[in-house]
Order: sequence, then structure tokens, then C-alpha cells
Amino acid sequence: MVTDPGSRVVEPYVETDNSVEARKAVSDGFIGIHNVTSNRFWQFAALFGIMFVLGIVGFVMRLGAGFDDKGAWGYYIAVFAFLMTTSSAAPMVAIAPRIANSHWRRPISRAAEIWALAGCLNLLLYIPLIWLLPSLENGRRSLWFYGQQEGVPAYSPHIWATLAILGLILLGLALVWLSSLPDFAVLRDHGEGWRKKWAGRLALGWRGTSAQWNWQYHRMGVVGAFYFMMLVFVHFFISVEFLMVHVPGWIDSLYPITHAHNALQAGVATMMLTMFFLRQFGGYKEYIGLDQFWGLGKLLLALSLLWFWFWFSSFNVFWYGKKPSEQAVLELLVKGPYLYLFITIFILVFILPWFTMIWNPVRRSVWGPPILAISVLIGTLLDRVRLYVGAWDVAGKSSMMEDMMYMKMSEVPTKIPTPQIADIFVIVGFIGGSILVFMLATRLIPAVNIWEQKEMLLYKAEVQFHRTKVMVMGKSR
Amino acid sequence: MQEHEQLSHKQINEDLLKDVLTVPKWWLPAVAFLGLVVVTGLCAFFYMVYHGLGVTGLNRPVMWGFFIANFVFWIGISHAGIMISAILRLTQAEWRRPITRAAEVMTVFSLIAALHTPLMHVGRPWRVLYWIFPYDFSRGIWPNVRSPFVWDPSAVGTYLIASSLFVFICLIPDLAILRDRAKKPIVKKIYAQLALGFLGTPRQWKLQIIAGILLSALVLPVFVSVHSIVSWDFAVLIGVEGWHSTIFAPYFIIGAIHSGVSAVAMLMALSVWLYGLDKYIKPDHFDAIARLLIIVATTWFFFFFLEWVYALYTLDSPDIALRELQALQWPYGPLFAIFVITSFVIPVPLWLFKRVRRSAVLMFWTTILVNIGMWLERFLIVIPGLVRRTHMTFDWGTYHPSIIEILIVVETFAFVCLGMLLFAKVLPLIPLFDIKEGMVNRRLIKVGRRVVPATIREGLPHHYYEKKH
Repeated sequence: MVTDPGSRVVEPYVETDNSVEARKAVSDGFIGIHNVTSNRFWQFAALFGIMFVLGIVGFVMRLGAGFDDKGAWGYYIAVFAFLMTTSSAAPMVAIAPRIANSHWRRPISRAAEIWALAGCLNLLLYIPLIWLLPSLENGRRSLWFYGQQEGVPAYSPHIWATLAILGLILLGLALVWLSSLPDFAVLRDHGEGWRKKWAGRLALGWRGTSAQWNWQYHRMGVVGAFYFMMLVFVHFFISVEFLMVHVPGWIDSLYPITHAHNALQAGVATMMLTMFFLRQFGGYKEYIGLDQFWGLGKLLLALSLLWFWFWFSSFNVFWYGKKPSEQAVLELLVKGPYLYLFITIFILVFILPWFTMIWNPVRRSVWGPPILAISVLIGTLLDRVRLYVGAWDVAGKSSMMEDMMYMKMSEVPTKIPTPQIADIFVIVGFIGGSILVFMLATRLIPAVNIWEQKEMLLYKAEVQFHRTKVMVMGKSR
Repeated sequence: MQEHEQLSHKQINEDLLKDVLTVPKWWLPAVAFLGLVVVTGLCAFFYMVYHGLGVTGLNRPVMWGFFIANFVFWIGISHAGIMISAILRLTQAEWRRPITRAAEVMTVFSLIAALHTPLMHVGRPWRVLYWIFPYDFSRGIWPNVRSPFVWDPSAVGTYLIASSLFVFICLIPDLAILRDRAKKPIVKKIYAQLALGFLGTPRQWKLQIIAGILLSALVLPVFVSVHSIVSWDFAVLIGVEGWHSTIFAPYFIIGAIHSGVSAVAMLMALSVWLYGLDKYIKPDHFDAIARLLIIVATTWFFFFFLEWVYALYTLDSPDIALRELQALQWPYGPLFAIFVITSFVIPVPLWLFKRVRRSAVLMFWTTILVNIGMWLERFLIVIPGLVRRTHMTFDWGTYHPSIIEILIVVETFAFVCLGMLLFAKVLPLIPLFDIKEGMVNRRLIKVGRRVVPATIREGLPHHYYEKKH
């Protein structure tokens, strides 16, 4: 019994089952699943491996064609932006609910963090882009300074963008490693074969002392917060340096935030699909349940509505303002050659998720959210194609630099550039490659967070409430 | 919430209805003073109606002044209610319980304050009737639905109706308690009428909860649309530099949440001091709202940064000249410095310290600073853009608010405070049923040697998916 000072009611407390046996049962359950690699896993890994090889071929072909024709790089950059929007944003599904202390995140937080490893592929895709980015020497507009000034490096955008992307990838690696430390220790002590050996090296002598746990919570919080800030920062760079800078007259102060928001929406969709596959084929059916689909479903619903609001906020200001330079941007990206693509995106990313996820039975199901996640991911890929192919098509025109001085396009392209074989290989290959990296990483790192599941034992209890039983969840803070 | 006092329902009723069923000593003088300020403001308004808008500091080209800045400010404050009440209710944040009612009521009064400022600004407010009953059919004079000035009253009016409904629905169980406790027959009758026959049956509770959740969800798009539309009053124009920016809609909304949530923190401190509600509003509640404010303020600052970066990115000399006027030239430069310092530089670093977050006094003063800064922000958005001479301006001057405008703006502040005091006299400022629900749902869980608070998980029955899947 506990009595709060000054209260008039004496409160009983509930004991949770946090016994050694209960914790061991959780560890054993997860290690059992983690140690088994099915034939189906290797079949899929082989498929994605072949796709990745094609991607490398496409990458080499694209490099071989050189950097002179900027318009030809549109699809390549669209894939880079798509992967930054999906795999790099997925860890936010672990970070945000962890900060908000939401228990439903626990079975899916590790899978979300593992997606950060796929960021290494983004780095590979990014390297050639440094040569495509115009310097400040030729009069392009820059966020950094008023044109190029004395003492300002002409390659400031290149330096900053590279540092930001590197920073994001390093933070992602730190996040997944820190989060896995206690689980590596479990694998070190109870695992088998090569996993035991590698986990022992990566666990850094973790023993689970109070000091180590204190540090763990602090580090996770700090690295998570920095990852989020860096993600927003990187999307700010990408949307400016690889998109708006190349379209004269496209001055949209909201767009960096829209780009970051698109990443959060696509990140949630990525995680929905991931947890569906982990549940159906990964052996985690007992751990990944309706709670997780429901939680992410609500997020996807809110983010889909926000997608519309962000888009409309920009569109309305351009459309109503009737400024010629902004009308030209709308002509390029919405009304002109990309009209049908835009309508498709609008349906896939906003109409479908919004008007279906609004129904609770759809959100609270195992099949509904993943189907809509596919819709969102396809829509996001098409959106990246619309924006980046459109922007780099303009960048490839010879009059671009002159137009940039007047901030107005002298000529709006009338058709969508056709993707070349190299572009198709890069699109298919790098998406497949990212999935392959994720799959292989789950062989070393448990796809479900063991320590967060064990922690759950501390906070969850079943109690009698009038004539029924209810679940009681504790909050550590 | 780690700090908690488990109280009986009887105790909660006694504590929270004490100030409704009796009159505190300070209440009458406070109401009289605020009433006097409101009357003075109304006198200034009638003086302005009689003599015309010439008695204000408005001139060509500065046709929008204190009134419009004040309108945007109050619309901002009104965002607190929905932010605190609807969003925190949907996310099942336990700490919301004692502060939702005050936030919702402040939304309603600040919306009324917001609405009457532009009404005064038009000079001849009775002409609004022409919008409702367009009389001049023969000359085809109709309200122009393409004008942002038609969008505004529609959006704000919808928000006011939705917020009032929200407040009322959440009041029904408390009205029933007041009905059962009121002693005077006439008062009892009024409460009985308002309580709509609420008896607390399971069906009534179910409907009450569903209505609360549905309204929370439905009012959110209205909440977003209101300030978006107010921002588009500015952003869709291309004639005034600094206004034509796509970020305005989210920038206005996040700014509104910043000032609105700060105003709720102020209200929390005042509730503790004036009504002695420290058993219900604990340092933990201040801590939670301060954490929320850190996130909101930082996001707001990022939007502010983007707005400025893009203004400079254009390299257009008029845009750069406007920014210089806003930030560096007299008299706007010092105001700009005060705005940035009070709305971000002082409060946010202070909120990083737990001792500040848990102190009612420090939270009160830091959130006052935020609202001073946010009022100035609106002023700096509206005025300098109009003051600056552009190539199509043939007549120009500067803007000095007249005493009439100042009195009317002060009247809006007094009106909101008066409204809150009057409300708290007839209805409880803390929702009784919400507090009781929190007490019923609350449990304690023993974790190691510590006992931590826990709550019954709402939503899915715990065996739901084990059975079905």
C-alpha cells in the first residue's frame, strides 16, 4: 500500500512479472527466432541481390555518360531523393514515439533503426552528385550568401551538403549501434556461431550495470534528437540544392518543410510494410500486433492530411498570386507535362490514405495499413520523379543560367524526359539494394528490440476493473 | 505524472466547485476594474465610429495597423484550446486533464476578441450586414467570395462555433453536478436546462466520450484552416514585400501554438495563485507544458529562420530593403530585437532547466515574455511591409498608433480576462469529470524499489488481437 502525503485515499500498487524467468523467456524467444534463417529469406535476398547488381551496372553506365548533360541525371537524383525520403526517414518511427514514451513502438523500433544502415547506399548515390551541383561562380542564387562574395568558397553548397549527408549517415549508424548494445550482449552470452563472435565484439563489454543503463538512456535520447534535426537539415539541403536552385523563379520557403514532411510520411509507410513482412514471414507474429498497425495508421492518417495542407499552402499562394515566374513553376510541375502524373500522386499519397484510413476498422487491421503504405510509397516515388526529373530537365537547358539571373523560366519543357536503361537499372537496383542491406542487417542485429521488450515487463500488468480485466501501462516519467 | 494526489470524488467536487458556489474576495474588484477597461475601450470605439477612422493612426499606405496585428495575435491565442485539448486528448496525454477546460474557454473568448477587432477596423461595422443580406441586387453588389476577406469571417466563425460546441459538450457532466448542488431554484433551473438531462448512465457516458473524441478530430482541420486563411490574407498578395511567402500558413500556425500554449501556462499559474488549485495543477504539469513549449518554440524558430532565408535568397533589392527596415532601422529594429529576445532567446534556454520548468512563477513570467514577443511579431509582419515606399506608392507616411487604437487593443485584453473570470464564477475552470476519470484510471506499478504511476490503457481491449489474430 502507498499513501501520498495529504491524500485521503490509500492506493494499492500492482506487481508486474519481472522475474528472471520471465526475462529469460523473452530473450530465449527472440534468440530462437533470430537464429533461424529460412530458405525463403535467401531466395528473396538473392532476388534483391540481383536487382542491386543491376543497380551497380546502371550506376556505372550513368557515370560513363558523363556530367555534361544534366537533364539526363533527373531519374538518378529522383532515386537518391526517394531513398533519403524512405530509408533515412524510417528511424523516426523509433525516435519520435520513444521521446513521447509510447509503449506501442517497442516491437518495431529496432527495425526502424536498422533502416538507417541503408543510408550507406545513399552515400554511394550522392558522390557523383557533387559534380553536378553548380558552384557559386556562375551567378546562381544561393542560400548561403548574396551571390558569391570575396572570401566565400565557390563550393560552399557542396561542402555543406556533403557534411550534412555524412552527418546523417554517421548518426544513423550510431543510433542503430547504441540501440543494439544490450542485445549484442544477450547474443554474446546466449547466441551461437558467428553471431556470438561478432556480437561480442560489438557489445563493447556491456554488462547492464546501472551506470551503463543510465548512459544508454541519455545517449539514445541525444542521438535520436540529433538524428531528427539532421534529417530536417538534410531535407532542407536536398530540396534547395538539388531541386529549387535549378528552376528559375521557384522560391518556395515552405518546400524544405514539405520535403521533410514527405520523408516522415514515406518513413511511416516504409515501416508499415516492414512490420507487415516481419510479422507474416519473419516469425514475429506474437510480438507485432494490431497495436503497432493502429499506432502507425493514426500517424499515416495525420501525415496524409498534412501532405495536402503543405501542398495546398504552396499551391494557393502561387496560384492566387498570379506572379509570372510562379505561374511558370506551376506550369512545369503541376499543370503542364506532369499533370497526369501529379493527379496520380495526389490520389496515391493523399486521397487513398486519407479516405480509407479515416475508418477505424481499416486503421485497426493488419492488412489495411500495409496496402495503403504501398500506395503512399509508389506515390512518393512518382512525386520524386515529377519534381527532380522536371527540375533537372530545366537545369539541362542552355538558357538556365541566364534565366536564373531574372528568376523566371524563359521556356517551360513540354514533355517528360524518357528514362534510359541506366535510369531503370538505378531505380530498380538501388531500391532492391536498400532492402537487401536491411535484410542482411537483420541477420546480425535482432529485428525486434529485445531489451525494450524486456523493459515492457516492468511496466505492463493486467488488473481487474469492475467486471472485466484491463491492461495497465506504467510511465517511467 | 509522477506527482499525484489521489482524491475522493467528494473532495474533487468540493475543491473545484468552491469558487463557483461562493464568491472569492478579490473577484468583484477585479471584475469591476476589467469592466471599466472594457467600457473605456468601447467608448473609444464609439468615438471612432462618430469621428471616422481619421482618429486612428492609419493612413495611406498603412491601412492596416494595431487592429489587424491584434486580430492575428488573438487568433493565435485561440489555437491553445484545440492544441491542448483536442491533440492531447487524442494522444491520451494524462497531464492534459486539469488544463483542458481553461484552454478551451480561452479559445472562445480570444476568438470573440479577435473577431471584433477587424469589425472595428472597418470603421462602419454595421456594413457587415450587407454581406449577410446583400441589398443592392440591381447593381450586382455581392460579397466577393474570391476575396480573402470573405474567407476570414467564414473560417473564424466556423472555428468559434466548433470551439463553443466543444466547450459545451465537455461541460455537460459538470453542469449536471452543478444542477444537483445549486441551492437557488432559478440557478438550479438554468443548470438543469444546460445539463440536457445528463444523469451519468453508461449510455450517456459512452455518447459523451464519443462526442468528445469526434469533436476533437473534426475540429482539428478547422483549427488548421483558420490561421492558414488568416495568413493567406497576407500571403496571396504580391504587392507588399515580405508578405508573399508560401511558408506563411504553417508559420502562422506554429507561431499561434507557441503563443497559445504559453498563454495556457500563464493561466495555469494564475489558477494556482487565484483559485488555490495546487492540488490539481502540480509542478509536473508545468514541466510537461514547458517541454511541449521547447519543441513548439524551436520549430517556430526554424520556420522563422526559413522565412528570412528565403526573403534574402531572392536577392531582390526591395525584399532586402524591407528586411533591413524590419530588423535594423528605427523604430522597428529595437522592436525586432525585443521580439526575438522575448519570444525565443530568453525563454527557451531557461526552459531547458528543470527548476525553471517546474516553477509556476518562472513559467508565468517566461510565457508572458513569449506573448509580448509574439504580439510584436504580428506587428512587425503587418506594419513595415506597408510603411516601405514601393514603386507604385504615390502617397506615403509612417504609422503611429493613436490613443484610440491603444484603448481598443487594451480593451480586447481586458475582455478576455473578464470573460475568463465570469466563466470561472459560473462554471468550473477545471473539468471535474476529466479529473475523476484520471483518478479512476490511475494505478501504481512497482518497478524494482520504485512505485511508478500507471494508467488503464484505453482503446483496444487487451485480448483483442490475441483472440482475433
